[in-house]
This record gives sequence, C-alpha cells and structure tokens, in this order.
Amino acid sequence: MGGLTRGYFLQRLFMFLLTIWLGSTLIFFIPRLAPGDPISAMVNRISLDQGYVENSEQIIAVWKARFGLDDPLWVQYFRYWQNIFSLDFGYSLARFPTQAWEIVLPALPWSVGLLSVATFLSFFVGVTIGALMGWRLTPRWLQIILPTSLTFASIPYFMFGIVMIYVVAFQLGWLPSTGAYSRWVNPGWNWAFITDVVSHAILPVVSIVLTSMGGWALGMRGLMISVNNEDYFLLAQVKGLSPARIFFRYGVRNAILPAVTALAMGLGGLISGSILVEFIFAYPGTGYTLYESIITQDYTVTQAIANLMIFITAASVFLLDLLYPLIDPRITYRQNVR
Amino acid sequence: MNFRSMISARLFRFNAWDSPWLNIKFLLGGGTVLLVLLIGWLGPVVWDTDMAYTGSAPLNLPPMWSEGGTYDHPLGTESNGRDMLAQLIVGTPSSLKIGFLAATIGLLIGLVFGSVAGYMGGWWDHIIRTISDAAMTIPSLVVLIVIASFVHMTDTTTMALILALFAWPGPTRMVRSQVLTLRERGYVRMANLSGASAWEIMFVEMAPNMLPWLAASLTGGISAAILGATGLEALGLGPTRVPSLGLIINQATTNAALVRGMIWWWLPPILILMVIFIGFFLMTTGLDEIANPKLRQFKASGNRSRSKTKRSKPVSVPVTPADGPILSLDVHNLHVHYFTPRGEIIATNGVTLGVRKGEIMGLVGESGCGKTTVAMAILQVVQSPGRIVQGEIKINGRDLIGLSEKALRNLRWRELALIPQGAMNALNPVTRIREQMGDAILAHERPGRIELEERILKLLKDVGLPERAISMYPHELSGGMKQRVCIAMAIALNPDVIIADEPTSALDVVVQRVVAQTLLDVKDRLDISMVMISHDMGLLAQVVDRMAIMYAGNLVEVAPVVSAYEKPLHPYTQLLIESIPSIKSRKPLNVTEGLTHDLRNPPPGCIFQYRCKFVEPKCRDQRPSLVEIEQDHLVACWLY
Repeated sequence: MGGLTRGYFLQRLFMFLLTIWLGSTLIFFIPRLAPGDPISAMVNRISLDQGYVENSEQIIAVWKARFGLDDPLWVQYFRYWQNIFSLDFGYSLARFPTQAWEIVLPALPWSVGLLSVATFLSFFVGVTIGALMGWRLTPRWLQIILPTSLTFASIPYFMFGIVMIYVVAFQLGWLPSTGAYSRWVNPGWNWAFITDVVSHAILPVVSIVLTSMGGWALGMRGLMISVNNEDYFLLAQVKGLSPARIFFRYGVRNAILPAVTALAMGLGGLISGSILVEFIFAYPGTGYTLYESIITQDYTVTQAIANLMIFITAASVFLLDLLYPLIDPRITYRQNVR
Repeated sequence: MNFRSMISARLFRFNAWDSPWLNIKFLLGGGTVLLVLLIGWLGPVVWDTDMAYTGSAPLNLPPMWSEGGTYDHPLGTESNGRDMLAQLIVGTPSSLKIGFLAATIGLLIGLVFGSVAGYMGGWWDHIIRTISDAAMTIPSLVVLIVIASFVHMTDTTTMALILALFAWPGPTRMVRSQVLTLRERGYVRMANLSGASAWEIMFVEMAPNMLPWLAASLTGGISAAILGATGLEALGLGPTRVPSLGLIINQATTNAALVRGMIWWWLPPILILMVIFIGFFLMTTGLDEIANPKLRQFKASGNRSRSKTKRSKPVSVPVTPADGPILSLDVHNLHVHYFTPRGEIIATNGVTLGVRKGEIMGLVGESGCGKTTVAMAILQVVQSPGRIVQGEIKINGRDLIGLSEKALRNLRWRELALIPQGAMNALNPVTRIREQMGDAILAHERPGRIELEERILKLLKDVGLPERAISMYPHELSGGMKQRVCIAMAIALNPDVIIADEPTSALDVVVQRVVAQTLLDVKDRLDISMVMISHDMGLLAQVVDRMAIMYAGNLVEVAPVVSAYEKPLHPYTQLLIESIPSIKSRKPLNVTEGLTHDLRNPPPGCIFQYRCKFVEPKCRDQRPSLVEIEQDHLVACWLY
C-alpha cells in the first residue's frame, strides 16, 4: 500500500545513527592514530609560522591536561560522545569567552539556505535535462543543445567559482564576490537586506548548480534509456497516450526513483564541495567557519562544526529516505532499497 | 575443449575494429590525460624545476606575452618570485599521482569487500553494504579537513593514504552489484558446478567481464581523489613545501591575485585541473558506455523511421481468398529490417496475413523467427534500429503506415489493442491499476469521474478480478491477476483487433488455462479479432481458429486449426506438431537437425532447405510462394 512502515523507518533510522556514529568516530580516532596530538600539532604549526613559541613544552602539557588528552583513549572517546550529546564542546580557543556552539550556530542558516537552494535547483534542472536526453521523442535541436549543459559537469564547484568571481564580480562588476550580505545593509526582514542577500548568494549558487547538474543529467539519461526499453513504456505508446503523459507518468515517474536515491547518496559530496565554495566566496556558512577554525587553531570549534556537518548530512539523507516511500509504492515490500 | 577454455576463447577473441573499447569518449579522454602526464614527464627535461621552490626571480612578473614579461619566465612569477611554469611542471604529476594512488587503493579494497558481499551474501553482504553506504554518506571533506588539522601532511603518499579512506565505498557498491549480476549468468554457474573454488570464480570468471566497470570505477575514483586532494591543498591543508596545483590556487587566492589582476597566477592551475577532470570525466562516461551497451545504442528520435517506409507496390503475393469475409486486420507483404552495425537483418520477409472478424489467428514459430516483430510492426512500435521497409498494415481497410502521428494515436487502443506478457513488466510499477486503466480510456474518451470508475470496475469484473484490485499496485497482484488486468485493459474501448503477445507464457499451467478461458470468453462476447502469438502448440490448439506458422521471417503455412493439426502440409509444421508431447504415445523427442540460415543473407531457394528432410534440387534455387492447396489451407512448399 505504500507509505511508511515501521520496519522501513527503523532501518533508515539505524542508517542515520550509524552514519553519525561512523563519521564522528572517524573524526575522533583517525587523528589520534597518527603520532602527535592536536595541541602539539597546533603549537608546532604556530612555531612554524612564527619561528618560535615560548615555553612550548609547558603550553602543550597544560593544554593537553585541559582537554584530557592524557587520559586513556576510551575515556576520551566516552567524553567525546558526552560532549556531542550535551552539545557542549567547550569554549572557543580563538575567541575565548565564547562557547564553541555560539560560533557554530549562526553559520548554520547560511549554509542550509545556500545548499538547499543549490541542491534543489541543480537536481531539478539536471534531472529535467537528463530525462529529455534519454527520450526518443525529444526534438532534434534540443538533443543537440542539451549535452552542452554537461560541459561543466566534471569541474569542481570552487574552481568554477573562482572563474565566476573574476569574470562576473571583478571584470563585469555585476555581483558582489564575497560574504553573505553587505556591511551597510540592516539585517532583518526588509527589502534592501533580502535583495542584498540574494545578490550575494547568486554566484555561489550558480557555481554549484552549473557544475553539479551535469552529473544528475547523465544519471537520469541512463535511467530514462532503461525505462524506454520496459514493457510498460511500450504499452503506454500502444495505448495511444499523449507523448507528454508517457514522458511524465511512465518515463520520468519511474526513472526518477533511482535518481532520488542517488541524490541521497550524493549529498555528502555536495556538502564537501560547498565547503570550498564558501571558502572561495568567504560565505559565512558552516564550511567557511570550519576553515576559519582550522586556520585559527580553534580545536573545540573544529570539533563542534565537523560533528554538526556530519549530523546535517545524515539528517538530510534520513529526511529523503523518509520521503522516498511516498514516491515508490513498492518500498514496503522490497527489503533493501539502496 | 572443456567449458572453461571455451569461455576464455570467447573472452579473448579480439576483433580490433569491432571492439567496444574503440569508444570515442574513452579514447579522447585517455588521450587528454596522457597529454597532461607528458607535462610531468617531459617538463623537468626542458625546464629547470628548481625554480618552483626557490624564489630567486623578480616578483610578480607577468607572462612573456604581456608587457613587462620576460622569456626567462614564460608564464611569469608570483609574489615569492617563484617561476610559474616550473611550479606547474612539478605540481601537475603530483596531483595525478595522489589521485591514482588513492583510487587504486580504494578499488582494491572495493574489489575485496564487494566480491565478498556479492558472493557470500547473507550477513557478510548486509554488514559490508550498510557500512559502505554510511561511509558514502559522510561528507568526506569535513573528515579530511579535521584529519589534516591534526596530522601534518608532509608528503603526497600520506595524503593519498588518507584520501583512500573515502575511495572504497563506490567501488565496493559497484563490484557487489556486478558480482550479483554475473553470479546468475550461466557460465559462472557452470564453473561453480565444475568445482572451481570461490576465489577462482571471482577472479578468473568474473573479473574479465567486469573490466570496463572496474576501469570506469578507477577513472571516476581518480578524479574524486584529485578533487579531494586539490580541495585540501586549496584550503592550505595539504603539503605546503612542495608545489601542487591546489597549493598554487591557495596561495593565489590568499594573496589576492584575483583582485590584483594577476590572472597568470590563478588561472593556469585551474585550467590544467579542468583539463584533467574533463579527461577523466570523458574516460568515465566512455567506459560506462562500453560497460552498458544500452547507452551506446540509444539513438534519439527513433520513430522518424516510420515516415521512410515505402508503400508496397502490388506484388503478386497470393492473398487470403478475396471472396472470404471482410478482413479486420490485413497485413500485406510486410518487410521489417533491423539495421545493425553488423549488417541488415531481415526479420520479416514479405509476411501476408489476414484476420477475419471475430476470429483468433494463432501465430507460431520458434524464438527469433520474427513473430514478435510482426506484432510490433502491426502496432507500429518497431524499435530502432528496426524499420518497416515495405508493406501495408490495414485495420478495417485503413492503412496504418503513413498515418500521421496524431491519427495513429487516435486509432490506437480504440481499434487496435495489445495484450502484452503481463506477468512480467507490462504494468507501470508505480501507479495503481485504476490510473493505468483509466488513462487508456481517458486518452480517447471523456467519461466523468464516477462513470470512469464504474467502467473500470465492470471491466475488472468481466475478467474475474475482485473490485479491490482497482486500487492496488502491480506488485500486489499475482502473475495471473496481472495478466487479467492486461486483458481487461485491452477490451476497455472495445477494439476491433487485439494482438496478444504470448499472453500465457510466464504463467503456471493452471493459471494458463484460466487466462486462456478468460480470453475466449471476452472474445466471444465482444466479437473481437485477435492475433495470438505463442509457441505453446497445445494451448493454441484449444483456443485459435486458424494458425499461421512462421519460419525465419516467412510464413510457411496458414491453415484452419483442425487441418493444421491433423494434416500439416509443410515439413516444418509437421515437425512442430510432432513435437507436442503426448502421454498416450510416448516417442523419442524429435530433434531438428541443422541451423537456421543467417538472417542477414537468406538463401535464394526455400528458406527451410537446410533443415528439411524432403529437400529437392528445386528447393535450392527457387523460393516457393504461399499458395492455397486446399480449402483455406495455404502452404509455401514445392512438395505440393
């Protein structure tokens, strides 16, 4: 009957928790498997940059004790999860009296906004292009034009972003190149602020959309081609349905299911790519904050933001998973969707 | 020759010009990547790469073609006085090396995990798949950045090892699904039965078939790893002592090269990376096409083929007697050819067939004889690369060939419907029966909502389905029920002609009888003409009025069902009738000797000559035509 069943829900919930656990554990253990510790690495890097740090041995010892890095690994791991659950990552090291999460939270809406708009646009446009490319009745001129949209498919978002900044922002001067809004506008629900935010978001969004939609288009093309060969597609033709109905109800409706699964699998990559886009555009989202925390050696903020980003990714995938049964009635019968 | 060596012989027979590896995208991409590799190999020979490390040159020098540029530094220098050309020569191969190393490690891990998951199944499969799915979801760059902030990455190998952490889930998924597909193939099962070990099967039998998939996974993995490495470098988190393309971008952006107009600083590394990514992207899509022939063969605008059909000239092919009843369906001199790269395959060679009103015509023949092609041609849905080259297909006297797309759509289902092999995949899996039946009706008529519902319910009742079936999805129905939905759908608009394409062949015997009975009931009640395609002689004997026997694209005999079974004339028909097993007189199964001729190149004489017991010299060079020997009994054979 379609819909969400308990078994499916629990299965996806398990995946959600597993993803968070795996990601956070990777972040915890991999660095600790390597020789050294974050504090020594930090102090070393500072001394590399500045030549010399006074009393570096002492500083390292004090900070290590402060973060409990001398405790056994399992104690640290336990405390790590305690911090995650209580959302308490401690104080920011770079901006001391501030709590880490106070730095992290304001970045969240910017990234969520940027990414949801970019993801939706790129998926929607890409899937449409791909569906048309994989359909026999698409007019010839479209068949020639559409593949050109794949030109940028292989280029990393941020590299395209650099070129966009140079051409659109610096050479043409059409749009701002950095930040999320101008200093002189008053943040709030006023027209000036909204247009300012939109104009700042255009270049990052376009960089992501133009470079990522080709991937969806290619995948969708392949899926449409296989649907083209299905018996029900042939029967729809023989029934004398209009081409539009065949295209949407029989073609796209079936081909989009694996594409949505691919979207869920691709979200991590999208979020990874957006970190660099935020870096290039100095867009004050989570990716940029993560970068800043690394540059300012802000260990606690790094921990907080990395865990938050893993959580957001897992949560978006979980959300997509929960919506999936709405479009695929077979879901409750097939045990494994992915 | 044992089975194993047969497989390898087939695998390694390599016909250079026929090879799918000659894919233009793959070759173009490969060539591009090789060119970029040349920078790394030849660069140090012709240029002093020491200048990449020591900033001894004048600062911020533009390239040589701009004003102020010198030939000493053709691509200019940056703010530390390092030579750009030298930096690019050093940086390019290092990016490729990281990518290749990380992707290879990832692929090897994926090969092991994927094979184990696909081959062992059960818990192994479950655990490996769950973990690789979760690992795939994690945004790799977040983890990489955190790791990079702890671990000081001094060299490219460390970097590659860390990147490999995220390079395995993709290949694992791919290998698993390939192993699952291949495992079901006949030759792997055979190897299994012949006692080969699991590892032998995995690597000897399966690996060669997965080659294009593995290669695509490798090239895709390389570009993903280069992307990760470049990302880290661009953030300044990679090795900072050795120049790399990402590091150049990082230094350019942090030194405001964009604002300062130093385009020669930031653009060249980006261009090289773009060329690398496009090269690998082309290779990957090319390899996808090599691995998946469907993508290769897809040609757009496939139904333009219809317009090219020649009207058949009146040829002297004997037709079903003109004095008989009016023909509902009249197929005349139908030629359908498939234009494959290996030649033109003649699928039907002048088929002429008439179906009278209210009659069921059985169309039989072995697999590949062209009976389904006839059905597709009648329905005007011959799939590319096939095309109706010549012929007429008339429904109630109106020729379908040459009808406009709109007129044809109008006529479809109202005059000509199809009962597909419904047990398989004929129903749209994601919509309810109500909608699938409804849209056939709504495409041609405009009943109100309630009337539509009532009509669908009545149709379902007519074929013996419960009312609740209307709001079910296809996967909730059994094979026999799906087949009956297809029948109900076919009669929805009370068509004149129905083509039933093997309507019972995927069903078990009991259900077959029920479905056949349903078909008969429906036909008698509605006075529909029907072409029933099947190879089940026993079933046809009970259902059809007349039979047409097809062999290698030609009709060899058309006869009323009783005389076809009791007194078959054509040697091929005789063979078919003899082959019906009977419990009363058990006899050794009659094995037909010889093979069908090459369909691209039919022999001049009788098409059955290579397998015929009664072959005469005349059969070798003269083609017999279909002539009426007895009342309503036509045969194409020189014996009569």
